[in-house]
This record gives sequence, structure tokens and C-alpha cells, in this order.
Amino acid sequence: MLIFRKPIEGIDRPQMPADVVIVGGGPAGMACALRLSQLIDVHNAKNPESQRSKENIYVLEKAREIGQHCLSGALLDPRSMRELLPGFEKEAPLDAEVTKEAVYFLTEKSKFKLPITPPPLRDHGNYVISLNRFVKWLGGKVEETGITIFTGFAGSELLFDGNRVTGVRTDDKGVDKEGHQKSNFEPGYDLNAKIVILAEGPRGSLTKQLVQKFDLAKNANPQTYGVGIKELWEVPSSRIAPGEVIYTMGWPLTTKEYGGAWIYGSKDNIVSLGFVTGLDYADPRLDPQRVLQDFKQHPFVTKLLEGGKMIRYGAKSLPYGGWWAIPPVAGNGWMILGDSAGFVNSARLKGIHLAIKSGMLAAETAFEVLRNDALKKDDSSAATLGDFQKKVESSWIKDELWKVRNMHQGFARGFYAGMFHTALQMVTGGRGLRNRYPAKAGYEHMRKLAALPADGGAEAHLLGPAKGDGKLTFDKLTDLYHSGTKHEEDQPSHLVIHDTNICNTRCVKEFGSPCQNFCPANVYEMVDDATQPSGKRVSLNPSNCVHCKTCDIADPYQIITWVPPEGGGGPNYDGM
Amino acid sequence: MPDTILVVVEQREGKLNRVSWETVTAGQAIAAATGWTLEAAVVGSRASAIAAEVAAKKVAKVYAVESPKLEPYTPDAFAAALKHAIAAKHPKLVLMPHTYQVRDFVPKLATAMGRTVISDCIGFKHENGKLVFTRQMFQGKFAADVSFASDAPWFATFQNGAFRGDKAEAGASVAPVETINVDIADNVIRNKPQEVFKEAKQAVDLTQAEIIVSVGRGIKEQKNIEIAKQLADALGGDLAASRPICDNGWLPMDRQIGSSGQTVAPKLYLALGISGAIQHIVGMKGSRTIIAVNKDSEAPIFEIADYAIVGNLFDIVPPLIEEVKKAKAGN
Repeated sequence: MLIFRKPIEGIDRPQMPADVVIVGGGPAGMACALRLSQLIDVHNAKNPESQRSKENIYVLEKAREIGQHCLSGALLDPRSMRELLPGFEKEAPLDAEVTKEAVYFLTEKSKFKLPITPPPLRDHGNYVISLNRFVKWLGGKVEETGITIFTGFAGSELLFDGNRVTGVRTDDKGVDKEGHQKSNFEPGYDLNAKIVILAEGPRGSLTKQLVQKFDLAKNANPQTYGVGIKELWEVPSSRIAPGEVIYTMGWPLTTKEYGGAWIYGSKDNIVSLGFVTGLDYADPRLDPQRVLQDFKQHPFVTKLLEGGKMIRYGAKSLPYGGWWAIPPVAGNGWMILGDSAGFVNSARLKGIHLAIKSGMLAAETAFEVLRNDALKKDDSSAATLGDFQKKVESSWIKDELWKVRNMHQGFARGFYAGMFHTALQMVTGGRGLRNRYPAKAGYEHMRKLAALPADGGAEAHLLGPAKGDGKLTFDKLTDLYHSGTKHEEDQPSHLVIHDTNICNTRCVKEFGSPCQNFCPANVYEMVDDATQPSGKRVSLNPSNCVHCKTCDIADPYQIITWVPPEGGGGPNYDGM
Repeated sequence: MPDTILVVVEQREGKLNRVSWETVTAGQAIAAATGWTLEAAVVGSRASAIAAEVAAKKVAKVYAVESPKLEPYTPDAFAAALKHAIAAKHPKLVLMPHTYQVRDFVPKLATAMGRTVISDCIGFKHENGKLVFTRQMFQGKFAADVSFASDAPWFATFQNGAFRGDKAEAGASVAPVETINVDIADNVIRNKPQEVFKEAKQAVDLTQAEIIVSVGRGIKEQKNIEIAKQLADALGGDLAASRPICDNGWLPMDRQIGSSGQTVAPKLYLALGISGAIQHIVGMKGSRTIIAVNKDSEAPIFEIADYAIVGNLFDIVPPLIEEVKKAKAGN
């Protein structure tokens, strides 16, 4: 019997007042905290009579250590960091400056180099970084300011008073598999906050609660996502220069799927490579982890990796629905940042700089509220937080996203149509054939098995689990081992399936249980069960989860909700 | 009459729990800060002996709260006895160590008196005439100062190690001991204590095993584990498993081998129906000889196995048990 995680009901919880609670210590949340501290410092220097304290500003981070759950390619566009910390290049962990870039179109055995690198993919001046190390460094800066980062604490619920968000409830600790309190039970805290800032990353669980409660997405395009599967390799020297950047399109995907690969040369013969597969593919048997394994078997990639060693693995989803998919980002007591909002430039495959910028703008907005409070000025918090919406719309975040507002939607009918629309949009300032291209959610593109060729047709090589040769390619469990994922085993499942009957009766027949395929961490398994008419039953391994949220996004029935497990659990990314 | 602090000293079956000295130290410190009088109480059927021991410390008075009904310990009787003593002596503040026994009865006692407990404190402060207790929050990342808003008596418990027991000051003279005999009606005690036992720690230390028979998913059903057990018994070895088996609850967690279980290096490791995911391999690859039985000839376990048997374990294990038994009988 599966028991799913939910906050324990009917208990007294410790209450704690807060000025600002930031949920999520990634680039957006850390930038927000740091900017807030800077503004308070300036204010306090100018206003000795109305000092503003930082003591009641908190960051909740579900990882045991700062940066441990952060994963990206990553290339950093330094624009926002230069605004946040001028001269940051001198002390930040930047692995290499981009020196060379190329874009290839792959067929199964060959490659074609694009004669010019398309402008959005020109990366000179950007830096190759490990996001988790970068965030660790940024988190250290935040801690120096006196702002408290609660590592190992997740936001499990939003607190409301009517239409106002009034705080965040943290995760209950010490709950066993059956949902009973263990001897080390510690109830989650209610942080009663003037301002709640959601910086949870893509498909944030509190953001999802908020969007559903207030139907925030009603005027936006459905958000569309990809899942990036990443491996870090140590390769023999001089295979790739530090700062060399390669993008590929094409194989192993066919023209029907959206996606592509990155290969970044870092320092010390480390190569970051990964494959982003759009979570709007048709065949439920497709396995994104396998797509990466296929990609590595292309002669071009094999040559790069041969004799090397895979050292880390991880996965993360990314929202690339663009400008039209972003819901309102501010309201009564709340603001939404970074990937949670959908601030990703899908043409440039970059979001870190936008996440940081959104954090800075939110900090400016939050500071207005705190200052008015300190100066005992009347304020209508709703209106003040609404300023964040205006700040985003008048900032370079919008300039950048507006130009590519229809980019991903243009690919709805495949690669060639996508290239046509992209070219058209480039010469029309992002407009293309119309101002706003519509979109539908990725899971709606998934087709039932009956409508697909039994042998997989042109997609056959993408379907089903990778076997792995143990050297160049790996099965999922071997890859997963290299994510360092660990959770308290005795706790309710944090993958909440609202109706397992659908899994065991309908999905198994109609779609062949795609959860087993799209999950890059082997969380979902269909096991034999004679008591089920289908002979199969869904079984979960929640402690394998790498927190990528792909299941929540890609499940065709939308019956899976990802919620944070007991704080402290999750992947242990290092150098990712 | 000045305000008093009452430290409840813990005893069980006539033996003083030494953590109580820490609470006496805490009580002495609070008394020094507030100017209140410090008293102590021992609750039990034979409290007097311990009360005499406590009377040597710097306290104004020691109460031996006695009743034959206090042996054996029950939360009902202890709460009733202390309620009686507190009602008679009306201390302002009642201090206790944060022990299992206190955690058992103090919520009942406080609730019965319409009061709350500030539990598991790590210190106190006396500021501007106000007594404030410090508790940890967010798993020790934060400390919170908490004070009582209600009328006395106030209840507080201190965490182990918050004060030093060896710093409890001895008194200049022995404090007087007053016995309070409590009458506890039969119907008050609703708990019936059974034999005291220590939870038997499963005595499996697989790291010391010389022979391990380990089962994986290939065993199919819980009832089939029996044949692996028979093989382990025949070989004189221990039974272990890969994670899915323990996850299903078919074998206890302490028999799990692998990255989320134990790491072993026996002389002989027999892997039955284990595919050999890296998460399992890291827990047993140091075994001297590995024999693997698996239906799938490409199972990764065969890459590290010294002897590979490709086949159905249900065909292979029963005759293997017979052969082992025969060989052993022959010796």
C-alpha cells in the first residue's frame, strides 16, 4: 500500500514571524537575498534613526547543503551578475571563458557544421560554470550578510488568509512510510511572512499550488518543458579546449522531436555534456536518458569521450514556453522568480542570468515594502508587490524574452516548420506569422500505443531503456548512482499519485506506463501483480528521485504531483 | 513566602538518574539569578533514600513524595503524585530533566493542572525580572527565547547536557527531608506496566559473516525466500538481500546489502536472482568468491561473479541444498 506525503493535520506547529521568506536557494533566490541585503545596507547607512534588520529574512533550501540540488549546462551570461556584484569575475568560480563555438546538425553517422553560428548561440563573453559550485559560492555571500539560509528545510505548503499569501509551512520531519510520527518527529514550522518569494526552480510545488488556487495561468500559454539529462566526463587531455562550446541538433532525435545537445569544455579536462529532450514527444516509450546514451554513440561524440570516464550524472527540467507562458509573477503577498516563473530564453538555452535578474528586481520590490514599514509609511503591499510585475516588464528580461516569444511554439509541427518559423521570427523581431503563437501542454502531444507503430518506426532507437556498455553508455541505475542521490528511506512517497488505479488499469494499456521511461532516475516501476486485471501494479522507489519534476510535467493523465521529500534528501551534485 | 523552584529528581526502581544533577545545577543557577528558593522532590515508593542523597546538595528542602502505588512506574501515578505535591507546596517553577520518563508523564501532569511545558530547553536568562527559557528550533540552527504567559506553576524541562551535573553545589549543611505521603486511588492508575524489555536489536552483523546467501527480485514472492534460507542454513551462512526485497518488507532492512544498506566482504557470496545494479555491487564487490545465479545471461552481476550459473534459481537451488547437505554429511 502506497502512502503519500502530506503535511500532518491537526497538530500545533511552531509559529515564527518573518519579513521575507524566499523558497529555494538557487541562483534566483540567492540573488534576491543578496540584493535585499545590499539595499538594506544602503538604507541603514542613510537612515540611522530607522534601521532595518535582516534578521527576519529567511531562505528555505531543501538540499542539505547550498547548491547541492543545482544543475545546469552551464553557460553564464554575466550581465546580471555584473549588476549584482560588479567585478564578480575576480572571485566567482568560473571554469572557463567561452573561446570557440560551433553548431552541428547530426545524422546517424555524419555531421554538418552550420556555416555561421546563429546569433542566439554566440557565446563569446559567457563563462562555462558549474552551477552548483557557483550557487555554493553565492550562498556563502548571502550567509556573510547575516541572512539565514535554512538548508535541509523545504517549503511544503503555502499559508493563506483569503486571497493573501501569509507564509510558508516547512516540511514535517520524522514521518515514517505509513505516515505515522516517528520518535524523532518534528512538525514543520509556520513561517508567517509579510512577503513570500517563490524561487523553487522549474515546476515549483508551491508555485503549482499558487497557480492552481488563483488560476494564474488562465491567460498564459501552457508552460512547455524539456528535460536535460547531463553527464560530467573526465576525458584525455586536448580533446576539447576549455571554453569550447558545441551545440548539436538532429540525431538521435528525428525531425518530430524537439531537442538538442550541448558539449562544453571546462577546465582540467572536464567535459559537461547533456541532451535536452522536449517533453512534448509523441511516443510514450521514448526514454530521455536513452536519448543521451544514443547521442554518445555518434562517432563525433564517441571520439571525444573515448578513453574518458563518466564521473557525475543528473537531470533537470527546464521551462521553455517563453514569454507567453509566464503567469502573473506578483500578487497579494507573493512573487515568483526564475525557472518557477519561466524566465528562460529558449533560443539561447539560458535562464541563469534571467533568474538572477528576476531575483534582484523582486528584492527591490520587497525592499520598498520593508522600507515603508520601517518609515511607518502606509503601504498597500499588494500594489507594491505589483511593482515587480512592472519592473520585469520594463527590464531587459522582457526585451530579451520578447524577441523569442514565439520560438518554441514554432516547432509544434516538427523541425523543418520550426526552422522556417525561427528564421521568420528573427527578421520580424520575434513576431513571425502573428504576435502570439498558441501552444498546448507537452503531455497532450503524447499518443496512445494503439496509434503508433508497434516496432517504433523511425523512433525505434529512442524507445525503451538503455542497456549500456558500462564504458561509453550506461543503464539508468548506473547513471543514477553517479548522482549521489540519497533520501531518508522510511518516509511517505513524495511522488503523489492521485489515483493509482489509472496507472494499474488504464495507463498500462493505453500508454504502456511512460513513467518508467521518462523518469531519469528509475523511480517508477511496473511490477507483476496477479491481483490486478492488467497483471501489473505501479511501484515507487522515491529515494531514487533526483528532483527533476519530469513526472509531474510529462504524465499524460496529470495525476502525479511532485512534492518535496523530507528536507535534506535528494541528489548530491558536485561540479554539475 | 518567597517564590520557590522545585526540581524533580528522577529515579527508577530506587536508582537516581544522574542527569538529574544537571537539573539541580540549573535550579541552583536560576535560584541565584532570581533570588527564589530551591527545593527538590523525589517521587517513588522508596524515595527517602534518594532524597537523602539529594539533601547533601545546596537546596533548601527535599520532598520525598511516596506511595506504594508509585512502584512500578506508571505515568498516571506519577502525574497524580506530583500534582498532589505541587498543589500542596505551590512552587512557582517546576524543573525536570528531559528524559524519556519525563516526556512520558509531564504532558499529562501539565494538562491536568491546566498549564503548559517549555520542554527541552538548553538554557535560561533572567532579564529585567523576567525569566526566559531558550529552546532550539530548526534542528539547532536557531534558538528561541520563550517565557510563560500563564500563572504558576510553570513547567520546564532541560535537555541532556545543557548544564553540568558535576557542578551541582553541595550544601553547607544537609537539607531537611519532608515526606509527603500521597494517597493514589486505584482507579487513577489505568496503565498496566508489563515486563520492561530492551528492544531486541536484530543481531545481524553481516559484515562479520563468512558466507552470505543473498536474494534479489528473481525470488519473485516472499514465500520463496524460504529456499534461500534453507540454502543459507545448509551452508551455515547468513541470509541477505538486495534493496527491492527489503523495500517490500520481505526481509528486514538490516539485511540489505548495497549503497543504502551494509557493505560486506564474506568468503563466499551467493547472489540468487540479483541483477547486479551498481548500487548493490558496491556493497559486496569485496567478497572473495562470488557465485551468481540469474536467468538473464547478460545480467551485470556476471561481470563480477567468479562462478556464473545462468538458469532459473528455482531449478538450481533445491538440488544445490541437497548436494551441500550430502557433502556436509560425508565429512
